[in-house]
Amino acid sequence: MGLRAGLARTAGRVCHWGLHTVLHRSASQLPGRVALAIDSQAIAHAVPKLRHGSVVVCGTNGKTTTNNVLACAIEASGAKVLCNRAGANMAAGVAAAMLPGSAADVAVMEADELSTVHILPQLRPNYLVLLNLFRDQLDRAGEIDHVIDTIVAALASSPQTTLITCGDDPLCMGVARRAMEAGTKVLTFGIAEDLGLAPDRVPEARFCQRCGAELTYEYRSYAQLGAFSCPSCDFARPTLDFTATGVSVGREGISFDVRAGQGAPTRVSAAFGGVYMVYNLLAAFAAASLMGVDGATFQKAIDTYRPANGRLQHFDVDGREVVLNLAKNPTGFNQNISLMLADNRPKAAYLVINDDYNDGKDISWIWDVDFERLAADDALTVIAGGHRANDVQVRLKYAGITARIATDVADALQQVSSADKDQPLYVLTNYSALWPAKAALERMGTKTDGGAR
Amino acid sequence: MSAAQRTLRVAHLYPELLNLYGDGGNILVLRSRMAWRGIACEVVECHVDDTPSFADVDIAFIGGGSDREQAIVCEKLLACRPELSSYVEDGGVLAAVCGGYQLLGHSYLMGDQRLEGLSLVDLYTDRGTPRLIGNVAIESRISPQPIVGYENHGGRTHLGDGVEPLGRVLFGHGNDGQTGEEGCLYKNVVGTYIHGPLLPKNPGVADYLIARALERRYGDATLEPLDDTAELAANKVMYDRLMGGEETE
Repeated sequence: MGLRAGLARTAGRVCHWGLHTVLHRSASQLPGRVALAIDSQAIAHAVPKLRHGSVVVCGTNGKTTTNNVLACAIEASGAKVLCNRAGANMAAGVAAAMLPGSAADVAVMEADELSTVHILPQLRPNYLVLLNLFRDQLDRAGEIDHVIDTIVAALASSPQTTLITCGDDPLCMGVARRAMEAGTKVLTFGIAEDLGLAPDRVPEARFCQRCGAELTYEYRSYAQLGAFSCPSCDFARPTLDFTATGVSVGREGISFDVRAGQGAPTRVSAAFGGVYMVYNLLAAFAAASLMGVDGATFQKAIDTYRPANGRLQHFDVDGREVVLNLAKNPTGFNQNISLMLADNRPKAAYLVINDDYNDGKDISWIWDVDFERLAADDALTVIAGGHRANDVQVRLKYAGITARIATDVADALQQVSSADKDQPLYVLTNYSALWPAKAALERMGTKTDGGAR
Repeated sequence: MSAAQRTLRVAHLYPELLNLYGDGGNILVLRSRMAWRGIACEVVECHVDDTPSFADVDIAFIGGGSDREQAIVCEKLLACRPELSSYVEDGGVLAAVCGGYQLLGHSYLMGDQRLEGLSLVDLYTDRGTPRLIGNVAIESRISPQPIVGYENHGGRTHLGDGVEPLGRVLFGHGNDGQTGEEGCLYKNVVGTYIHGPLLPKNPGVADYLIARALERRYGDATLEPLDDTAELAANKVMYDRLMGGEETE
């Protein structure tokens, strides 16, 4: 190791110690920034300490959950894992997560899609998991075409990386086709049966990534994900390497059989999530099994895994169930609406939209969310919140829903306090609104296991 | 007059291509604000393989898309330019936002390539750096309230002599970040860089479009007032934030 690399590592660790031990602050990014400032190749220089390499997880929705489930599963197999669990997913976050210890078995790192181009050439992971691509934060991330180009470039910079991606997503397959042509090995996963769900809106990817014709579907699971094919060229869902079948999705959780190729099925079940979680766990299973984790160990890891970071967390506040989840783009919101509608109890929803830099300052996308589906639920009370509460209220008005505004979670709970205690409150927020909501719920109530009860 | 059912036909042009920023919200707002007043609203979606006809259209809407999608739409619309031009000259109502606004002019740029526009309004678009991104507020004679929204464009649009802007920039960038002008107004054409959901928080603009269409179709622009408490609150919150110095341009 060169002098500069050693200095970078030491400086990063001192910074981590200062933040974490002295100041009791989160040390998820700054130590990595310090290390990268001294040694721009700090991630690359930490790679030799990984005995079995690394996996990077990206995709618009679900990367934190997928990444953390994957890390738990690999840990459950007895390996020492480095992971950016808090979700600091740009190069600095990855560099910070690579600092601890002199040796580890595997690094499991979540990466922001646009950061893959900085992370992959240094980390050179065994696998890149690309979960899905949806429109998100257009003012910051740019159009989806730009995101696709970036991931293709990232893969080109790390030729030994195998891409594991969603064969059901035409946008992911657009990336896969281009990467394959450039020599990248590609494995795919998907749901190999018609779930018979009411289709939600397809905001993008209605057209062939190769020739521009409108795609046709044998069936869709959600958004643009499904058994697609192009009527005028050979662009279509590929033969899947990992499939989910026998899928069951309900309020109590999900379960499905996963198969690698023609192999024997492994039943996977989890006490949380909807259809999107089937994809997340399927992706995690695929990466875990390729890293040598067996099915029983994977299931054991899910059984002990508790959603964190405000992702589908359940709380009990004075006897009322409160469900907190992140919803930061149309597809995420639409999936949350599906989850809520699957809960047939009378209930309330507190929808919180901020427009801080991390959220994207442009919230035009709320007009792409199918709030109209909520209007059909007579036993639902909707409350708007966040810096853009008034915009949410207007959006709901045009969906046929009269919503009041609440200043925070406590106020929202107060507003529903006269409702029966067995009526849950769903709190759906985008990024910057998530932490205050989570902190308030932790203060006011206790965490529960939700669907596992 | 009141006994007769009034109907307006809204043509949503290429919704599957021009839908980058929640553009569909505009159609929902037009439809709702007509329905609340007992005006029947028929929305016709013009898809990529359709040949649009403007013969019985009252309001046409063009949204914004990526460069690639915008170029496809422009090519389609160029094929029916004469009819579209007659519609505009006859006072047909046309609202175009974001990329759709650029199509109204003589030309615009895609990459370094200059593409021919529809020449419906005397304007053209070139490009500058940086992109002009952020919340925007303008004052316009067509709306009793300031018009607020979000802009995100690399293009710089230049109005021909005598072409009226939609309004004057109070906060943000507008057509080119220089002149203090935003959008265009020509006959019953409204063009603006305020993208996506223009109409929800700007009910004055929505009602302007409906009134112009009623006037052209039925000779009477009278509109029953609606309870716009929520819309105007959202408008005011953003306007106050922008003008109160909480946000930098």
